[in-house]
Amino acid sequence: MNDPVSFATEFHPSSSPIFFVELAILTLLVITSIAMLRMRRLFGVVMLSGIYSFLSAAFFVALDAVDVAFTEAAVGAGISTVLMLSAMLLTARREKPYAPGHAALAAVVCVIVGGALIYATLDAPPYGDAAAPANSYVGQAYVERSAVEISMPNIVTTVLASYRGFDTMGEVAVIFTAGLAVMLLLGIGSDRGGKDVRDVPRMVGREEDGPGLGEKPTLDDGGKSPSPKGGAS
Amino acid sequence: MDNVIHYASLFLFAAGSFFVITGALGLLRFPDFYTRMHASGVTDTLGADLILWGMILQADGDWLLIAKLLIIMLFLMFTSPVSTHSIAHAAWVGGLNPLLGKELKHHDIAPDRDETKAPVEMPGGEEQNKGGAA
Amino acid sequence: MIMFVVATIAVIVAIVIALARAILGPSLYDRVLAGNAVGTKTILLLGLMGFLTGRPEFLDIALLYALMNFIATIAILKFFAYRTMSPQMRDMSPRLGNGNHDGGADG
Repeated sequence: MNDPVSFATEFHPSSSPIFFVELAILTLLVITSIAMLRMRRLFGVVMLSGIYSFLSAAFFVALDAVDVAFTEAAVGAGISTVLMLSAMLLTARREKPYAPGHAALAAVVCVIVGGALIYATLDAPPYGDAAAPANSYVGQAYVERSAVEISMPNIVTTVLASYRGFDTMGEVAVIFTAGLAVMLLLGIGSDRGGKDVRDVPRMVGREEDGPGLGEKPTLDDGGKSPSPKGGAS
Repeated sequence: MDNVIHYASLFLFAAGSFFVITGALGLLRFPDFYTRMHASGVTDTLGADLILWGMILQADGDWLLIAKLLIIMLFLMFTSPVSTHSIAHAAWVGGLNPLLGKELKHHDIAPDRDETKAPVEMPGGEEQNKGGAA
Repeated sequence: MIMFVVATIAVIVAIVIALARAILGPSLYDRVLAGNAVGTKTILLLGLMGFLTGRPEFLDIALLYALMNFIATIAILKFFAYRTMSPQMRDMSPRLGNGNHDGGADG
């Protein structure tokens, strides 16, 4: 089972258990995207898109596109969720009901484009085909030469770090930016630094314009007022 | 020895699957947010760790694999309770009150009582379950 | 092999249920909790998929997911506790001020 060679020769997509995993993930992706379309509440859409990113990255791993999965996990589930939250803060919390004006036109465009894409996949080589263009010319050369020239066990690493070194340098800049964004989020340079957290239920006393964010914390009230109306002390 | 490892990992996988399913069912079925969080938090950590232990036993002594699995497990052991706690803390600070005593018993009569009246909820939030305002 | 299949089925069923909770809501925190649960289960699914295909070397992705899941959850919660990503952003828009009129924790 742990022998990659026997796996490669005996691999039949439709009989492998991973096929059903892929099927399940694809079904979940469809369900998630339909739910995102139906949902009018923007925070729910943001959370569902995070879930969508996690699931689609798992699907990329199932398709052996590990580097794409890395990118999807970092960018899709991490940064873009946060960016969409920021955008949501600047706009409304709910989506407006759309005007059903161009629905028919949009449906026609979608059907045509989708049909064209499906028609294009008919010419694509089967999944895992050794004679496919992606596997035969340059890819074949990388597979054969990287072990000799660079002697790294991971071919993706040799391609990324050596054959495509300058390209990777640009990507590292992108990832550095992503890291900066994460640091920004986790509070380096925040004016509060996590110190001014109050355990009083904040929204309860909203009518009487309760204590603002800048006032001093009252950490002791938290566990004592769990009644439905409590906490407005 | 191989048999022992095999059956031990079988048991770990079975128990882990049981806990994962149980936690997910609790996440779906429990009446309010805090009980859902309890079900999800407790059994998620346990179920995930059991399945990861099963994978470690199945790793055939590959030390790199075992190290990765151990790191994942250690990380989950630390972060899963932390994120559960911070969600609960954020919910409490945000003013979401738990159902208590009688409210839990009357949950079947008025299932969404707490959420529709909770101050964190937007007006008209219950229409979410009907597929949005189409 | 059969145990991996069973565990994978269990994890996928759990993802389905957590997704249902994320869709149903009803409160913001339920969605965050469901997203966190889906993330944890995706980590397990990645490991199990590696064992199912006989190539469990891709566990690094699962490790990255564990990190991202944690950071995303904390970032979302921090976002809703403070209603801003950074102090500068709050000055940009009048809606992001200190007052409570914005209904910060709405789903």
